[in-house]
Amino acid sequence: MKYFVRQAAFAVGVGILVAATSFGAAAQNPAEIAQRQELMKANGGAMRVLTPMVRGEAPWNAQAAGQAAASARDAATKAKALFPAGTGPDKGQTAALPAIWERKAEFDAIFDRQIAAASNLVTLAAANNEAGFKAGFAALGQSCGACHTPFRRPAN
Amino acid sequence: MTWCARKVATSRLAGAFVLLLAFAGSASAQSGDAGRGEYIFAAGGCAGCHTDTKNNGQLLAGGRELKTPFGSFYGPNITAHPTAGIGTWSDADFIRAVRQGRRPDGAHYFPVFPYTSFTKISDADLVDLKTYIFSLPTSDRPNRPHDIGFPFNLRALQFGWKLLHFTPGAFRPDPSKSAQVNRGAYLTEALGHCAECHSPRNPLGGLDTAMLFAGDRNPPGGGRVPNITPDAETGIGKWSDGDLEDLLGSGMTPDGDSVGGEMGEVVAKSTSKLTPEDRKAMIAYLRQLKPIQNRVRGGGS
Repeated sequence: MKYFVRQAAFAVGVGILVAATSFGAAAQNPAEIAQRQELMKANGGAMRVLTPMVRGEAPWNAQAAGQAAASARDAATKAKALFPAGTGPDKGQTAALPAIWERKAEFDAIFDRQIAAASNLVTLAAANNEAGFKAGFAALGQSCGACHTPFRRPAN
Repeated sequence: MTWCARKVATSRLAGAFVLLLAFAGSASAQSGDAGRGEYIFAAGGCAGCHTDTKNNGQLLAGGRELKTPFGSFYGPNITAHPTAGIGTWSDADFIRAVRQGRRPDGAHYFPVFPYTSFTKISDADLVDLKTYIFSLPTSDRPNRPHDIGFPFNLRALQFGWKLLHFTPGAFRPDPSKSAQVNRGAYLTEALGHCAECHSPRNPLGGLDTAMLFAGDRNPPGGGRVPNITPDAETGIGKWSDGDLEDLLGSGMTPDGDSVGGEMGEVVAKSTSKLTPEDRKAMIAYLRQLKPIQNRVRGGGS
């Protein structure tokens, strides 16, 4: 009997804990966080298509390069709008640092650079300008780092 | 009349010459090559700790906070300002500061300034570096005192720390290694001071010399500092040369991400500004290090 009570108490305790955790997560994480994380993953995918081509490890494919650059451009355009106030680390699980909202203009300007760099690559791919594309690719990588350096919490 | 005109011309010329000398003197007659110095400056990553980038601080005017287990340090103003900066320093003062960790008045620096690595920089490189630094705009921004607790705040104790953890001395090329590996060793060990972050430290803040380049699970700035020895599982053993060149050149990682945080800063201000040959030399040097198995990510903290 005593054993049963203890078991039951334990089960109830676990239940409360699970409910509290899932409720907390649901109540806390603003939708923008998951949305922008998906876009960043898509960006990583575009980079993995482009990098071997730019290095010359994969054959130049203007169509694939153009698609990847367009996906990076669209992801940056959408992601820029997904950092409204109230979506920082105090409101959910995100690597976005509070500095974003302290220096929003600077943050947005880096997104504009990213969009411009990706748009430039879309144009170069459409013109089948392989050399120009490879030369312009560095600007895209630089804007990734320019934002991750001051505005993203280092990973554990 | 002709004589008179010539005399005037001569005295004007002499005057201009004196002015020119005075101008050279006011720039305190730096003896090195500023162009080479700019490259040394990038390779050494000096701007990082000596510039308060976060608050749009002036280049080298100091004020950047460095959090450590001992407290917060604030990078000093190293512009050539005569009182707020290092404008009155001689070449010998500068070399002693960087290679021995001593102020011109003899006081010891805290090892948050990586003189432990910089001791290997050649004097010629330092004279060029100083010439470049002295060519930059000055700032009168006063230094902010470090915020560290007793007894770590006692500079005199740094003498003991040095006995335990500091081996002064110039870089010595290893004749059994290629010129490329030796160049990479100089860039990585001396100028880049990479081991200062990419190695664990002991409780006194000294580098764990058996674990150089094997990464740090608990760096002061948070996150993890990766193992950059050639270990296949926990280091860079599986990275291709292209992966490493991209990382140092643009910050891109093999998974399509880009480094941020402190390494993002290192890439932007330092490694991306080096020649591709120098980046390749650093990679060649890292590749021939002894692989050390040390997992820094995952498995709790």
